[in-house]
Amino acid sequence: MELEEFKDILNQQLATDHLYRTEEDIAELLSKKANPVIAKIRKSLWFEMITCIVATFVFGYLGISSKYASIQIYFSFFTIVFIPYIIIIFYLLRKTNQISSNNFSVKNNLQSIVQLLEEFMKRNLQFTMALIPICFIFAFILGFNEKHPIDSIDQLIFQYKPTISVVWLFAILYMSALSVGVYYFTKWYLKKLYGNYVKALKNYIHELEETA
Amino acid sequence: MTAEQEFIRLLKDHQKIIYKICNLYMQSHADREDLFQEITLQAWKAYGNFRGDSKFSTWLYRVALNTAITFFRKEKKKIEINVEVLPEVSEGSFDQIEEKTKAMYLAIAELSKIDKAIVILYLGDYNYNQISEVIGITQNNIAVKMNRIKLKLKEQTKKHFTTH
Repeated sequence: MELEEFKDILNQQLATDHLYRTEEDIAELLSKKANPVIAKIRKSLWFEMITCIVATFVFGYLGISSKYASIQIYFSFFTIVFIPYIIIIFYLLRKTNQISSNNFSVKNNLQSIVQLLEEFMKRNLQFTMALIPICFIFAFILGFNEKHPIDSIDQLIFQYKPTISVVWLFAILYMSALSVGVYYFTKWYLKKLYGNYVKALKNYIHELEETA
Repeated sequence: MTAEQEFIRLLKDHQKIIYKICNLYMQSHADREDLFQEITLQAWKAYGNFRGDSKFSTWLYRVALNTAITFFRKEKKKIEINVEVLPEVSEGSFDQIEEKTKAMYLAIAELSKIDKAIVILYLGDYNYNQISEVIGITQNNIAVKMNRIKLKLKEQTKKHFTTH
């Protein structure tokens, strides 16, 4: 049985086995919301963008209003760190707009979506991981050099009287555990959101590239 | 006439293209409705970039196939072919053509999303050059794939036909 034999009949059946839509029905559909994966990324990007903007203002305020010099420097620094990240998010948002209104071939479309998703996952992981050592180093240096005593920390030190080696050991263990935890959690979270989807799209690209 | 009115009229005239894609890519009625809506919205979004270099039908195939291939539903453990979608075979009918068509339909439904896209364009009377432009691979590659698809369909159709 050859495909040619059924060409006409299949064409006809495939095209008619559905509700017929009038112009009014189509107009009504246009007022609804689309939900492709690009829309999902756009939502994530908008969420991150808003979070970063709010964080920039909150951190900026804390940086200005705190009476401790360490906290002032710490939060002011993060206010500055968030600005380039907002620019990266804005760039990715623009890219999603270009893809959703494209006229690409099937292969180009798949490649663009995969590229965008991988870039988004990479930047997200990089930014999250970069924040950890920055947070620790800043907290350590600024806390060490703080002129005003911080009562709650002083009380802890007075109570347990740790030696310097114990403090170092605790700091290293804490930082290592947190870094590993955040790294795997972020990877797991991104994979859960987009990993399987990227894998499926890559398989399609691979299928398209197969020649032999 | 506004761009929206123009788009609606064009889409109404070419809606069969979307039906074909929805019927081949989605098994349940609800999923087909969702895909139809998704394709309509994507086409409307991309309509601003349609400059009329190609025919509206070719452009719509491209947008609709891009949407269908990247459209995912929560994974089901097993692909189920919904009999509702298949062409009707009247009870007690010995019409072999209907049975064979049904077997062919089942075989196409089992193809990968990429192979389905090629078959849809082939059924729409597109030549290899036009198919290669929509899919984005060379004409030779399309010819190789089409040969493989035909063989696969031949085997699968036989299998489905004998089990009926």
